[in-house]
Amino acid sequence: MPNLTKYVTPGRRLCFSEGVTAGPGVYERGEYLYASVVGVVQELAPTTEGEPRVVTVTREKVHSAVPDVGSIITGKVIRMTTKEAVVSIMVVGNMPCKDDFQGIIRSQDVRATEKDKVKIYNSFRLGDIVRAEVISLGDARSYYLSTAKNELGVIYAQSVAGAVMIPISWQEMQCTKTKTMEPRKCAKPDIPLPEK
Amino acid sequence: MKHSKPTERTKVKVVLPGDTVSLDVTTPGITLGPGLIQAGDSISCTKAGFLVRSGSIYWVENDQKRYIPETGEHVVGRISGKGGEFYRVDIGSAHQAILPFLAFENATKKNRPNLNIGDLIYARVALANKDMDPELQCLNPMNNKADGFGKLEGGMVLKCSLRYCQRLLTQETDICKLLGQVLQFEVSIGMNGRVWLSSDTIKHISLVYNVLKQAEALNNSECKALVNKLAV
Repeated sequence: MPNLTKYVTPGRRLCFSEGVTAGPGVYERGEYLYASVVGVVQELAPTTEGEPRVVTVTREKVHSAVPDVGSIITGKVIRMTTKEAVVSIMVVGNMPCKDDFQGIIRSQDVRATEKDKVKIYNSFRLGDIVRAEVISLGDARSYYLSTAKNELGVIYAQSVAGAVMIPISWQEMQCTKTKTMEPRKCAKPDIPLPEK
Repeated sequence: MKHSKPTERTKVKVVLPGDTVSLDVTTPGITLGPGLIQAGDSISCTKAGFLVRSGSIYWVENDQKRYIPETGEHVVGRISGKGGEFYRVDIGSAHQAILPFLAFENATKKNRPNLNIGDLIYARVALANKDMDPELQCLNPMNNKADGFGKLEGGMVLKCSLRYCQRLLTQETDICKLLGQVLQFEVSIGMNGRVWLSSDTIKHISLVYNVLKQAEALNNSECKALVNKLAV
């Protein structure tokens, strides 16, 4: 078994691949597991019972999440133009990111119907928290995101009066303090509706 | 279009930013105009000036020169640069405005407008909010025609307070009408505190500029006296 407190460099042979699975930072080649990044080797208990133990190499104590195509992310709108909204990706799935990634929601990816009639200002506002899906790894600067599904869109927003807003329909949110309506592309809430 | 006479405008009192205004908030239908915001259950001022009331609408009037763009207003701007598919226009707001190449009458991808950096234009604010750069258009959205928007040739620009531009537009001040009886000139009034003026000779242009500049501080009878002095 590998010395678990030692620092390893990429290419370092760790152990036999029998009875263990390769986790993040480790790859399998032939009969052995090798490190692919610089870090500390850790052997983790499997996520489900009966699975083999997972060997990982990580620099930090906690793994930082990285978005991938198809993953659902949660982020905050940090910039807006007429054609797109720029989102700072903070959480991938359930795991927070150590450093925020940047994503772009183009106006044609905001919703599934009437794509060319979308007005970004009626879908998002600066500071909104949105849930989106990664559709492409994009260019050097940002991922490409989409909110074109019922359960994607704005999940938390503040009104101009500074109070929390609740979604009324997929297109509108209402301020809890002043009861004014503001347009947003809302995500369908997770809570089940009460029985009629 | 028939204009109805505006209801009596009365100055209530002088206010400073942060002052709480004691209006009867239980009366339904009070409208808060520029300079007033609702903070919880009370109404407070965000500008220094006169609290003015017209019917059930209250607002604050002052000599503000700083322009905050609002959708639908007409402005005088100067082209300051070219972007990908748009011009960058300086309209005096915190951020430079965007004027897309397609926001002109009869504009297509092949038929581009012929404007240069430094040109003056009269445009309509198509989109303005606090989250994005303002967007302009040089056409009337109702009928997609130019309707007076576009490039302003020659002349010069007078920078003044926003209130003076409003007074010129609503003809609350008679100076344009009075001056028109003496000289021939042309004005385009922007809601952003900029007035473009032009006349046939440079001497007349500078005369119109000086008169309009002075008339900002004068009431109607003083304007009449100023123009009479000119006519001599």
